[in-house]
Amino acid sequence: MAQVPVQTIHRDPQLFYWILVPITIVMILTGVLRHYATVLMATAPKKLDQKTIREQRSLLHGINVRSNFHVLSKRSFTTRRDALTTAYESGAYLKDPERRGQAPPNPMSDPSSMEGMMGMMKNQMAMIIPNTLIMSWINAFFSGYVIMKLPFPLTIKFKSMLQAGVATKDMDPRWMSSISWYFLCIFGLQSVFNFLLGNDNAASQMAQQMGQMAPPTGQMFGPGVDPDKQFIAEVENLAVIEHYSVLDGVEQRLLEGITV
Amino acid sequence: MTSIEREFQIAPIVQESVVHNSRTLFNLQSLTASLFGVGAGILGLESYYGFLFYIICSLLTTLLFYVLRVAPSSLPAGKGAFDTSQYFRSPYEFWTGGLLNGLAGFILTWTLFFGLVRA
Amino acid sequence: MAPSLLHPPSQLSHAAALQLSQQAPAVLRSSPSTVSASPLSALFSASESPELWTKYENLLLSCLRTGDERAAHQCLERLVARFGNDNERVMAFKGLLKEADAENNGQLELVLKEYDQILSDNDTNIPITKRRIALLRSLGRVSDAASSLVRLLEFSPTDAEAWSELAEIYLTQGLYAQAIYALEEVLILAPNAWNIHARLGEMQYMAATASGAGAGPYRKYLAEALKRFARSIELCDDYLRGYYGLKLVTSEVLGDSAGSTKQNGADEFSLPDPATIERLNELATAKLSEIVRHAAARDPGWCGYDELEVAAARELLTKDASALPGVVR
Repeated sequence: MAQVPVQTIHRDPQLFYWILVPITIVMILTGVLRHYATVLMATAPKKLDQKTIREQRSLLHGINVRSNFHVLSKRSFTTRRDALTTAYESGAYLKDPERRGQAPPNPMSDPSSMEGMMGMMKNQMAMIIPNTLIMSWINAFFSGYVIMKLPFPLTIKFKSMLQAGVATKDMDPRWMSSISWYFLCIFGLQSVFNFLLGNDNAASQMAQQMGQMAPPTGQMFGPGVDPDKQFIAEVENLAVIEHYSVLDGVEQRLLEGITV
Repeated sequence: MTSIEREFQIAPIVQESVVHNSRTLFNLQSLTASLFGVGAGILGLESYYGFLFYIICSLLTTLLFYVLRVAPSSLPAGKGAFDTSQYFRSPYEFWTGGLLNGLAGFILTWTLFFGLVRA
Repeated sequence: MAPSLLHPPSQLSHAAALQLSQQAPAVLRSSPSTVSASPLSALFSASESPELWTKYENLLLSCLRTGDERAAHQCLERLVARFGNDNERVMAFKGLLKEADAENNGQLELVLKEYDQILSDNDTNIPITKRRIALLRSLGRVSDAASSLVRLLEFSPTDAEAWSELAEIYLTQGLYAQAIYALEEVLILAPNAWNIHARLGEMQYMAATASGAGAGPYRKYLAEALKRFARSIELCDDYLRGYYGLKLVTSEVLGDSAGSTKQNGADEFSLPDPATIERLNELATAKLSEIVRHAAARDPGWCGYDELEVAAARELLTKDASALPGVVR
């Protein structure tokens, strides 16, 4: 098999100054802008009335008892479990006990739950709008150029992605167009943002997408969740706990672990 | 109740410290990965050599991190050599986590400098 | 450890608090006098950090403690300029300053009325609720304070600060069982707080040795107190209060030989066998004398101990040594 000669394409060095540098700078600035936009658009936590706070914190209390039961003696734990179970089952902590058993209100019609939806929408917008704008900007100004060569080989399948807008059949897929530089920037600029904006920045959409995959913790009291069902589930969780205590045998551990 | 869970309840781990440690490591890894990309690009490494360069360099960084930051306090504390359990929960996270964390940054700067130098 | 403005000053000694509040002019001068609340200008001006506001809050508290009210008012002004008058924390600090400025009980009552007014507008203002409770307690209306705390905990049962305050109030009233219950709630919220473990041990020891405790509860409380102190030491090496309590409890158990065969119910903790208690007592004695020795010599690494606590430990050790011939081993 004959050795495929290495393709060389002579490119104008001005391509770097007028394509590569602008795209990179715009990507970095967009990331910074997105970070600050997220900071500005963050809504303050909404004021809750006493009943709602009571409902949520009582459930949290139950969860705390369940996860930290090991600090209690068996009798203290059983007392608490009995009290919590009775209160949960009777619905004593519910915000409006007479609505028990009814279907939860439609989250779309409930104005208080719309707030949360709006917050999510805003974040989505902060991601989608700049991306669309930059994509179309690059397509409008810089399509059809081959600007650089990747330092590693790729299979032919990447050709359509990397060389979008360059209709040259025999070109090595390692040559990439401006739009693929844009994609590389999306993935690789996270470290740059880390140094510009600190560690928990909102600049990179990659991090945001990761965040969406993980179950959001705030969702626990989100709209459309029936607190009564949560309470009943917590009763079951409490009931299955087999109690033991970290205080069991602590003297032995102490005598073994500490030498004077 | 598994015994591991019980072990954690008896000897708890401060979550903030764990987060801080792994975040420090992550910052170091993403910074050095970008710098290795610059290096690989300037050297003009291509295909496998570039990735090999990256893997060796980032393992070397982790090793240096261990020798300079972890070992001075973990060895006197009775931990074995290359045992990072005093500061990090899993050895895999410590030794190989950096490879994935920094890869995207590496490729970005590698491509950029390869293009600039070899154009 | 040098006192830092980043930690709340309530734990500091008087000297350290004074030292902090003497930094007030320097801190107030070095930080920008106003940081605008407008987000647009925040983009361009020097960045503000959460630490700055923590500093102001702690400086305010230290200054109040040492009577530097002018600096405290300056701190408050800056907090108000940044967060506005309606912020709940700022409202609590304003109330605190008013309490400090009040000269007699009549003025304090006025402040109390103001708190009631605020709370009738917004009954979820937890900082103000807590200020009101603290004010009630300092006015001597302890049972009012306790009932307000119970009301607060009724709708916010995950508030460790409130639970521990309730425990202290119950303790002053001699209601040991209730105090222990409240402190157990704190432990549920903060399961690894060694100081709370030790505090609970102390309360159980007090409950056991208080007059009127029967033989059954006496053993139960002592057994759990022993375990609590042991746990606090397990969580925090060389914890002086833990060892002190451990020594007290083990000496108490060893001195009281009557009824040692009776075991507690299955639901309760029971005392370990006498040999273990003996060894624990020896361990506590050895550790205490080590701590006292190092602390007296001001060895590096042993400086964090409170001087009063070290003195108390030394006293306990000497008393123990002089009483030793009397104890039948």
